[in-house]
Amino acid sequence: MTRYTTALAADVPFPPGIEEFYPPSLVGGAGHWLTKFTLLIWIAVAILIVFFLVAYRSPKMVPTRMQWMAESVYGFARDRIAGDLIGHEGARFASYLATLFCFIFVTNAFAIIPFIQISPNSHIAFPAVLAVISLVMFFWVGVRRHGFWGYLKHAMIPPAPWFVLWLLIPIEFISTFIVRPFTLAVRLFANMFAGHMILLVFTLGGFVLLNSAVAFVKPLSVFSWLLAIALTFLEALVIILQAYVFTVLTASYVQGALAEDH
Amino acid sequence: MAGDQPPQRPRGSDDYSSGAGKGWTAVAYLISGILVWGFIGWLVDRWLDTGGLATAIGVVVGAAMAVYLIVLRLGGTTR
Repeated sequence: MTRYTTALAADVPFPPGIEEFYPPSLVGGAGHWLTKFTLLIWIAVAILIVFFLVAYRSPKMVPTRMQWMAESVYGFARDRIAGDLIGHEGARFASYLATLFCFIFVTNAFAIIPFIQISPNSHIAFPAVLAVISLVMFFWVGVRRHGFWGYLKHAMIPPAPWFVLWLLIPIEFISTFIVRPFTLAVRLFANMFAGHMILLVFTLGGFVLLNSAVAFVKPLSVFSWLLAIALTFLEALVIILQAYVFTVLTASYVQGALAEDH
Repeated sequence: MAGDQPPQRPRGSDDYSSGAGKGWTAVAYLISGILVWGFIGWLVDRWLDTGGLATAIGVVVGAAMAVYLIVLRLGGTTR
């Protein structure tokens, strides 16, 4: 916000473009390896490590507030996501799913934290890596369970008569190994990208209205900002929902790889 | 915590969790069905110069096969 309030007198760049999502290097010479986004990723990792270490440093029977929060998040991932979707084998994946949920939640949450107000997940690179991890994980789990050829057969050959099988196998291959990770990444990226764009449009739009030459238009900027605030609450909902959806779908893919043929 | 058995409690969110997975799987099938056979149809179009007819057939066949796959993989299996 400070950037924009100081730029108030001057012309505000409007409408916002995609250069918003390519932050410059923080240190000269570091290139793309040290930008606002990579810094935020490290901060998110640090927050999670510190949070869980502190919360579980001396666990009590009657948990402190922090321990209760950490246990709730882990318990939610273990019972409601891993347990419900993967079944009795789910506990093995609970720690990864809980970490995934927390990581996406914290990195998403940067989108509405004042003075940060952009999420690394609004750049496709970060969701893409998470999606590739999910792909490798369910593939690996499937190969471990069924063997390499066994898993490919399990994943790509549905129980159908031979004369339609050749039509179905390419669809199975594309949907399982390409569309799944692609949609996983794009869903998260597009939600965060659009959310940031919408907030920018209404925040900057308020300044554009305020700078208007027509006196009658100036007070309308208040409505633009009110809408920006309302949309920030909507964004809070999207942040939690997208973290949840990503985790649920990863669990559901793992379940599909583990399932016996039916 | 590896031995932890998740408690079996019927809750509303269970339906949502597995339902979301199935829903997105169905969407993935539809998209890939149309893409795969639409693309192959398009290639045939370029090859035989059939003026879009093969693409149309490919898209429709792909969508139909995707629906068939959805019924096959997701239909009637209550977990």
